[in-house]
Amino acid sequence: MKHFTKLAAAAALGTVLGTAAVAQELYTPNLAYRTGPFAATGIPLMNGQADYMTLLNERDGGVGGIRINAEECETGYSTEKGVECYEKTKGKAIVTQPWSTGITLQVLPKTNVDEIPILAPGYGFSPMADGKVFQWAFNMPAGYWDAADMIVQFLEQEGSLEGKKIAFLHLDHPYGKEPLPLLEKLAADKGFELLPIPVGLKEMQNQSAQWLQIRRERPDNVVMWGWGAMNAGAITEAVKTKFPMENMIGVWWAGHDADLKLVGDEGKGYKSISWSFPNPDAPVMQQVKEMVFDKGLSQSNEEEMQGVFYGRGLVMSMILAEGIKNAQDNFGTTEIDATQLRWGLENINLTEERIAELGMEGMVPPFSTSCANHTGHAGGWMLEWDGAKFVKASDLLTPNVDSYADLIASASAEYATSNAPWAMNEECSATN
Amino acid sequence: MLYRTAGQFKTSYVADQALFPVKQDAVLLWLFLLLGWVIFPLTASEFAFQALLIPILIYALAAMGLNILTGFAGQLSLGTGAFMGVGAYACYKMVTIFPELNPIIAILLSGFFSAGIGVVFGIPSLRIKGFYLAIATLAAQFFLVWLFEKWSWLYNYNASGAIQVPNLEMFGIFVSGPQASSVTEYYIVLFVVTLLTILCINLTRGNLGRTWKATRDMDIAAELIGINLMKSKLTAFAVSSYVVGVAGALYVFSWKGAAEPNVFDIPLSFQVLFIAIIGGLGSILGNYLGAILIVGLPVMLNVIAGTQVFEMSTTSSLLLAALVAGATFLFWIARSMWGMGAAIGFGAVTLIYGYAQLQGFRIESALIEHINVMIIGALIVFFLIIEPHGLNQLWRLIREKLIIWPFPH
Repeated sequence: MKHFTKLAAAAALGTVLGTAAVAQELYTPNLAYRTGPFAATGIPLMNGQADYMTLLNERDGGVGGIRINAEECETGYSTEKGVECYEKTKGKAIVTQPWSTGITLQVLPKTNVDEIPILAPGYGFSPMADGKVFQWAFNMPAGYWDAADMIVQFLEQEGSLEGKKIAFLHLDHPYGKEPLPLLEKLAADKGFELLPIPVGLKEMQNQSAQWLQIRRERPDNVVMWGWGAMNAGAITEAVKTKFPMENMIGVWWAGHDADLKLVGDEGKGYKSISWSFPNPDAPVMQQVKEMVFDKGLSQSNEEEMQGVFYGRGLVMSMILAEGIKNAQDNFGTTEIDATQLRWGLENINLTEERIAELGMEGMVPPFSTSCANHTGHAGGWMLEWDGAKFVKASDLLTPNVDSYADLIASASAEYATSNAPWAMNEECSATN
Repeated sequence: MLYRTAGQFKTSYVADQALFPVKQDAVLLWLFLLLGWVIFPLTASEFAFQALLIPILIYALAAMGLNILTGFAGQLSLGTGAFMGVGAYACYKMVTIFPELNPIIAILLSGFFSAGIGVVFGIPSLRIKGFYLAIATLAAQFFLVWLFEKWSWLYNYNASGAIQVPNLEMFGIFVSGPQASSVTEYYIVLFVVTLLTILCINLTRGNLGRTWKATRDMDIAAELIGINLMKSKLTAFAVSSYVVGVAGALYVFSWKGAAEPNVFDIPLSFQVLFIAIIGGLGSILGNYLGAILIVGLPVMLNVIAGTQVFEMSTTSSLLLAALVAGATFLFWIARSMWGMGAAIGFGAVTLIYGYAQLQGFRIESALIEHINVMIIGALIVFFLIIEPHGLNQLWRLIREKLIIWPFPH
């Protein structure tokens, strides 16, 4: 009997929660993961995101005079918890930030029905760039296909890729497979040999088999699409097998300071493409330190705040705040709703001047979005580990989006047909 | 008093052998059916459907499938997650190859694929027993998940390697996929779960169930009285895998909407096994109780932690109070001092937490998660200590005490 009253209580509680109204704040929940197998990488990102919103609340009283409630809902990177969090928060949320690729894949079709913007900065499904099809999904400032293209561009700067062999060490998971279609296309165009080497979720910490294969095949470069424990595993294994570190390039999620501190000097030369950079001299860093950290409002620490991931967290919240500000300016109201925020996110115009105004010089490349372009294709810098920290190793690289616009269009069209009936943005006339 | 059996005379063999010889049991069952079929759908929010009702039913069904194999036929299995995956992938292939197929039929058919695979992996059970068999089923777990990853035909060569549920229609209503409403999904799950529960209750009470139980209790003796062990074990594998496969199809098609291969990995098998063990091996009701404890309780605790305790609506605070009082009463009936202490303690902690909230106390969601995991772990240990045979046995004891109440013996 008691178990069923529990169930009834839960049902009633759920009803109550769903309808509770909150006065005078914008609710932008974050489906955080400070626990679970990926917590080590999640914590600095979450701290960065939370601290930027705290800074806005402390310094300006929120955005446009209305406070931001950036509450976290803990998922532990599990899809089940993620969907639970999405359902729990969607009632009053104006945006959802799903974090894991697994959660994004599940939430993506739901947001199209529930009409809530999904903000997945630098992750998620690459075809989300097509804003006409994925009208509620955003992954600015850059997607995985942009990352793959920029990495290949960077390698090309060092000489023609004709006849070279590039190993693609990736997590055997939707996230790791994401750039494969583009890399295959680039391999055919540029004449290099692509050698995909999957790392199973269970083998993340023990990659001896994969690195044995790399040693045998002797690729010219290793491109890594790893996450969580896989990065640390790959980097230590690369050091152990004496793979030349300067020939190893990771995606932006494979550029976590803590992973490289494990090997220190021996990791010198390791590179990671990134659309964010932790510029310690940027005014925003000082302000966060003064108004958030020194007041004890942050969960972060001095060392973590120097890192790439913390800085990236700041940038992510900045993008969301820009979207909110745009919507407020356009609709003349501070209490915007989800639909208005979508307009705001679709009309971000982050110029160099605006970045300087926000105090984020050198922390994020300029970009702009439109109703057709939900990624912004900002480009990024190649960061290099100098033995103690990441430094910029290249000028701003920008992806050749034109060369894979067809791929984006066909992939998004395919998604729309397999999920028919899929509501699209028919009014949008801009091009990607 | 509540469960007085006086005056309920059995005048025929049929009445004596009824599923519920005590009238109150039948009344309770109808009450729960009413709750499930009418009251919850009318009152529950989207969140309650997606985070509580649907997953509890699906996990209970999966645990019921495992319980047939492990609890009734005594064959230990660690491959439940993979068999759920077989059901899910089979259902996905069927609806993509034959889009006009009725989704419910597809879900029910998909169980046959996992039943087939289950029988194949059940063949070793003819020679090996116990832990050794568990290792053999573990092989199924690893092999099948590997297959889901590598065989791209299974996920229609999708670049992400995940299966995505398309929008499926039945009589003009979306029943699956992102366009389907939670109520529809809930009714489909409830329909299938009710159907299979009736099937399982009757199977386990009947001839087949008796041969399974005989095999479980002593296989040599069973063989001596003329039970064909091969038939008994393989039918257990088939029926169990069928139910598990249907649960897997529901898991993806009526709840998650998308799945990558690793969701069917070993943690899922363990979760289902925990539900079956904590609910009580060899029972049907236990699966529901176990699913409520393992799947529902963490969500509920999270909800309570995230709510202002003293600002809850009257209905929910009354329900919470009734829950604490009811649990205390039942434990008192069962003469379990520890149980009473736990129930009263829970109520007290909630009140203290609410008071702390009024004083401006807040906890981080990550910390809530950590505490939640600790509470659930402690509860599992607690329930297994006060009743090692699971929640089903606990309920049976309470029921017996209720029948003779107010006398102790």
